[in-house]
Amino acid sequence: MKTRSLALSPVWSLLVVLGSLLLMACPKDAPKPTADGEGGAAPATTARLKIAVIPKGTTHEFWKSVHAGAVKAAKELDVDIVWKGPLKEDDLKAQVDVVSTFVAQGVSGIVLAPLNDTALRAPVKEATAAKIPVVIFDSDLQGDEHVSFVATDNVAAGKLAGDHIAKLLGDKGNVIMLRYQEGSASTANREKGFLDAVHAKPTLKVVSDNQYGGATTESAFAKGEGLLVAQKADTGGVNAIFTPNESTTFGMLLALRKSNLAKKTKFVGFDASEKLVSALKDGDIDGLVVQNPFNMGYLAVKTMTEHLRGKKVERRIDTGARLVTKDNLEEPAVKEVIAPDLKKWLGE
Amino acid sequence: MSGITSALDALRSMRRPAWLGPLVALLVVYAVFAIITPEHSFLRAQNLPMMGRQTVVVAICALGMTLVIVTGGIDLSTGSLVALTTVIIAKLLKSGSSPVFAILCGVAVAALVGALIGFFVGRLRMMPFVVTLGAMTALRGAAKGLASEQKIDCEPHGLDRLLDASLASPGIWIALALALATAALLDYTRFGRHVLAVGSNEAAAKLCGINAARVKILVYALSSMLAGIAGLMEFSTLTVGDPTDSFGLELEVIAAVVIGGAPLSGGEGSIVGSVLGALLMTVIRTGAVHMGMPSWVQEIVTGGIIFVAVAIDRARRPSARPS
Repeated sequence: MKTRSLALSPVWSLLVVLGSLLLMACPKDAPKPTADGEGGAAPATTARLKIAVIPKGTTHEFWKSVHAGAVKAAKELDVDIVWKGPLKEDDLKAQVDVVSTFVAQGVSGIVLAPLNDTALRAPVKEATAAKIPVVIFDSDLQGDEHVSFVATDNVAAGKLAGDHIAKLLGDKGNVIMLRYQEGSASTANREKGFLDAVHAKPTLKVVSDNQYGGATTESAFAKGEGLLVAQKADTGGVNAIFTPNESTTFGMLLALRKSNLAKKTKFVGFDASEKLVSALKDGDIDGLVVQNPFNMGYLAVKTMTEHLRGKKVERRIDTGARLVTKDNLEEPAVKEVIAPDLKKWLGE
Repeated sequence: MSGITSALDALRSMRRPAWLGPLVALLVVYAVFAIITPEHSFLRAQNLPMMGRQTVVVAICALGMTLVIVTGGIDLSTGSLVALTTVIIAKLLKSGSSPVFAILCGVAVAALVGALIGFFVGRLRMMPFVVTLGAMTALRGAAKGLASEQKIDCEPHGLDRLLDASLASPGIWIALALALATAALLDYTRFGRHVLAVGSNEAAAKLCGINAARVKILVYALSSMLAGIAGLMEFSTLTVGDPTDSFGLELEVIAAVVIGGAPLSGGEGSIVGSVLGALLMTVIRTGAVHMGMPSWVQEIVTGGIIFVAVAIDRARRPSARPS
């Protein structure tokens, strides 16, 4: 019998290692109920709200801003948030699993940016059935089980770009729009908003609006280059261009530079990566419409908290988009959107 | 030093089943989480069936992977095959086929792919690592091509209820039945003994008149067929056909088998151990969510467990020790 207890000793060593690993992981996140592991806070009470926030991924800059906004809301409103994305970036199954884990855990509410508008319906239904309300943010979800949808109003954002191009051209000239991809709802709305604004000016002429740049910068570059040739951009056939997301904007920027048309053709794009902002400073881009991920995270958590505290919330909440140009690049409000102070909220 | 040596000697003289280690580890990790999760949320009744559901895909894949590893092989194409099956099922359902036909097609394609891999490994004597590495990439490409590089939305026709949110969800019981059947196949049939024989000493097995190539073809076909069934379960969870799904799943499956006590050198393995290994990883993942652990901590803990499990396995086995 002595051999038996000895024989199991490696198993016990495994347990010790496991235990210590787990304990190592605890101090920051586990028993303390504060939003961000803030030391010395009051102990948990049963009334304290615990809200799970589930992004599409955790490593992209966009989601870091959302996280910072969510932490700000949690601190202001005195609730706990648990920030947990799929283990692998953009992994649909992992996100479905994370949602059902939170449902089984019984959090007060779930704030979710769904990776797919149908696949996440089942876990959201599961949550609603367990009386856990769900707020959807960033991308829409089919069905109406969720309390509210917090995201950029893409039609309004596209309209901002259209109005800016009309102003740049003095309401006269030829305009092309390179679309993003078939079946992408958010960009299709931006494209619609842009066309609405441009069609409102009868002297502006849309010479091409049926071409798609595709998923990558590479494909958008190839399409953009072809489009510039086809519409005789080098002899003034095109006065202004709009592209509805980061990859099409960057692809079109490369195409304009390669064709020596940068600065000659007016160009308004969407989203703000470092490269796009520096092109804006150089004057190769005349304007960028940017979303506000920080505000999105903030409003999503705030909406959920208000709902849980019995206030009535809107079904659709716009988190705002704004036009960034060379002139307003240095304004504090713009800076906060392009390069929010993540350190302050995430402590990194 | 002598203490350690005598412990190792004692360990070697033991004849305990291979799955005892993973079982103890599973119970202890579960208990640890039950104690340290805030408000003991880990003990909520909903938690158990949910963890069961989330283990189904990895566990079913691990059944086949155990057989493959017992023959001394490896299968890197599992994740791609699961994704391909979700795409085939979704595409057929969308084009109006009956669910039964869609399932049969998906599983049959998977089994055929497995037979082909088995042919390369068994008859043409190519390295399993290389063959399945190629299959991993080719099948991922096939899934993307078949789906036109997009997720396929379709009406699930009740297939989503395979893994619904209760203990009665059929998927869990199907997985359990498959596990029992595979364990019986490996432990109590002639074919199972042939599989073990080919894995522990292929030359000797051939001298005894075992057709090693045929055994391998059957093992890979069976393993891929199980991956096809796992693909059906994956579709049931997702309700869409996703060609980019399950990227890297094979590594999780291999980890489950290794934690379950099967050495990659072949010749032995435990179906029960592999299922427990899969459960252990789900428990860690779920516990991490309950604790609000960041993903990177979770990854380190899982990696540490694989490492320790293999270390124990080496200590347990006399032949593995250099003299």
